[in-house]
Amino acid sequence: TLSLQNGKVDPAVKALQARQDVIIRKLYELKAAAEGLAKIVTTPDADLDLTVGSSLALQSSSSTDLDTLLGKNHGALRDIVINANPSQPPLSLLVLHSLLCQRYRVLSTVHVHSSVSNVPPQLLSCLGAPHADSYARHLFQLGFTLIWKDVPKPQMKFSIQNMCPIEGEANVARFLYKLLAPYPSDPGAATLVDSWVDTAFFQLAKGSAKKRTAVLRALNSALGRNPWMAGPEFSLADVACYCCVLQSGSASAAAANVQRWIKSCENLGHFSPAKILTQ
Amino acid sequence: MMKDGVQGATEEEQQAQSKKGLKKQQKEAEKAAKKAEKQAKQAADQQSSEEDDFAKHRYGVSAMVQSQEKLDRTLVQIQDLTPAKADQLVWLRARVHTSRAKGKQCFLVLRQQQFNVQALVAVGDRASKQMVKFAANITKESIVDVEASVRKVELKIESCSQQDVELHIERIFVISQAEPRLPLQLEDAVRPDGEGEEEGRATVNQDTKLDNRVIDLRTTTSQAIFRLQSGVCQLFRDTLTNKGFVEIQTPKIISAASEGGANVFTVSYFKTSAYLAQSPQLYKQMCICADFDKVFCVGPVFRAEDSNTHRHLTEFVGLDIEMAFNYHYHEVIESITDTMVQIFKGLRDNFQTEIQMVNKQYPSEPFKFLEPTLRLEYTEALAMLHEAGVEMGDEEDLSTPNEKLLGRLVKEKYDTDFYVLDKYPLAVRPFYTMPDPNNPKYSNSYDMFMRGEEILSGAQRVHDAQLLTERATHHQIDLEKIKAYIDSFRYGAPPHGGGGIGLERVCMLYLGLHNVRQTSMFPRDPKRLTP
Repeated sequence: TLSLQNGKVDPAVKALQARQDVIIRKLYELKAAAEGLAKIVTTPDADLDLTVGSSLALQSSSSTDLDTLLGKNHGALRDIVINANPSQPPLSLLVLHSLLCQRYRVLSTVHVHSSVSNVPPQLLSCLGAPHADSYARHLFQLGFTLIWKDVPKPQMKFSIQNMCPIEGEANVARFLYKLLAPYPSDPGAATLVDSWVDTAFFQLAKGSAKKRTAVLRALNSALGRNPWMAGPEFSLADVACYCCVLQSGSASAAAANVQRWIKSCENLGHFSPAKILTQ
Repeated sequence: MMKDGVQGATEEEQQAQSKKGLKKQQKEAEKAAKKAEKQAKQAADQQSSEEDDFAKHRYGVSAMVQSQEKLDRTLVQIQDLTPAKADQLVWLRARVHTSRAKGKQCFLVLRQQQFNVQALVAVGDRASKQMVKFAANITKESIVDVEASVRKVELKIESCSQQDVELHIERIFVISQAEPRLPLQLEDAVRPDGEGEEEGRATVNQDTKLDNRVIDLRTTTSQAIFRLQSGVCQLFRDTLTNKGFVEIQTPKIISAASEGGANVFTVSYFKTSAYLAQSPQLYKQMCICADFDKVFCVGPVFRAEDSNTHRHLTEFVGLDIEMAFNYHYHEVIESITDTMVQIFKGLRDNFQTEIQMVNKQYPSEPFKFLEPTLRLEYTEALAMLHEAGVEMGDEEDLSTPNEKLLGRLVKEKYDTDFYVLDKYPLAVRPFYTMPDPNNPKYSNSYDMFMRGEEILSGAQRVHDAQLLTERATHHQIDLEKIKAYIDSFRYGAPPHGGGGIGLERVCMLYLGLHNVRQTSMFPRDPKRLTP
């Protein structure tokens, strides 16, 4: 407080503070990396997680990738706007957001639209702390703008000139996932992924207790045949099903295969944003 | 005379009638005769009662209030007239909004600002016929003192703001009489555009309204607009004061133009000439150099632009902010946008009645905004415009149509009526704007928009005397005239930034109105100097 004379902080103290912040942040990152490694080693199914690592190809990529996926732009930020109702946070989209952040330089911002008030603080910080460079929007490849708004279902707006707004969490999730990994090229496999995504959002998340039980049984038998929902590889089906199981609160009551799969999902470390909001 | 005329007519007709009709005619004639007799009797009665009117002391035109007495009388507000006050005898002062006489009773609508209530004078033991007649003849817009008892009503009175009660008048005195012919009717002035045409009724055009501003300001719409405007000022002051800002007053007669010499009013100043301030810009900055740290200023601003548009005035109220920041001018943007959001929230939460009243006459979408405020960079805006088919140079300024288009695009994507556009090209900004450290083509400057129209222009200012001199020379500004300004940065000046908002524009755009004159109480433009 001695340095706080006339509301001004001594620049030397400020610099020292900034250096300390950097060191602490680096320590945290190191700790997180070590924990991730430990999980892979101690996981019941270590091989599975390694295949996931390769299939999602989580190395940072150049903007030319986005050019082929989204078409050329004019050197400005490509901003994905997602409107969601705070009464039903779209867990799967938050999970996909954290996956996007591992792949691209993403500028993440959370806003509250004037149509809603009293948004809980955990929803305001659900995309993590703001990036240190967030003052310079042009330094980012992708914008992820989450707006808490009074909408009946989640909605995405991207290229307003060429695309109509995308309605529904499942459809937005499909769009975001395609920025991370290609859909299976085999039409049968691709359809299987889509059908699990639909099942998750329409029957698991919104269905009656009876329907939910039936879906959980189907999940269990599918997971008896394959390590992941739609085959040998992790896919959007796993993201959707995991989030909807979590949201419906039926994780603890599920059968053995589902339990094992939940554990594998959690070991990947991508699902913490969903986990935090359902606790 | 009437009687003779009627009889004459019936006689003529009798001849043309058949015998069958004769009896009927005769009966009717008898009836008419009876009626006439009754009327004559009534007239006689009236004559006699006029001579001794039992309610003489209960009505009349009061002597001019010259403060000859100090009555111990409580006057109630119309907005407080609720069923809770039922059966109480109250006094109030109000304007006669409308009056309608109907036989033995007269209905009045009494108005106080934006509130009104139905009142009734009926012949009875409290009011005489003469009193009803007097009430019916009070001219519209006269101010009256009324004593009346509050009565609950069975059916809601849809046309009044107080729908659940009416007043039964026991005394009525005219305090100030209005001339019988009004230059415009209040009903006509609040009629929504287009509605009048359908019903064949009159609407009042804007010039007539402004020529008779005092009467136009009495309409519910005007009352609501200017109450909301006062709210904007108060919210602005309260928010900034809470943030540790100091309100300052700056001179309006200045020696040099702050934003180019073209659009400045020159006034003669003794043996030399002076200018009317285009903004308190230079003074705000000098206060920062004088360690006031965070300042704001609410006051008149003058622009001698000869533009007769819906959004230009030659004198308006500027809400100006200037603050020192620590490391990045976005601290200033955040401070200003947060202030704006607090104003919008305050209006949304506390001025809903006023907003609804204005909407009745001028329907518009509710004002939408995001918290925190959306900030886009100039290059992003150009990309959005490019995608929409607008070709613009990188360093070109946004034209008004492009600003509006951009506003529509932003609204479509983000659904907000308020956003910040950051990083304008340096070439299109005033000389005191700080260049962008990473790209000298751009600057640390920003505009804020409401419904696609600019309301604020701001920037980080150059706080280094050397660089400031260079920039001024580059803009070919006479250094001699701004010597005092540049000198203020020579003795240690903190980095700072700010911006100025036009109060009238903010109100206009918040309410979705189409002309800034509607939110200026006594507007000044190149063609209007009165009232």
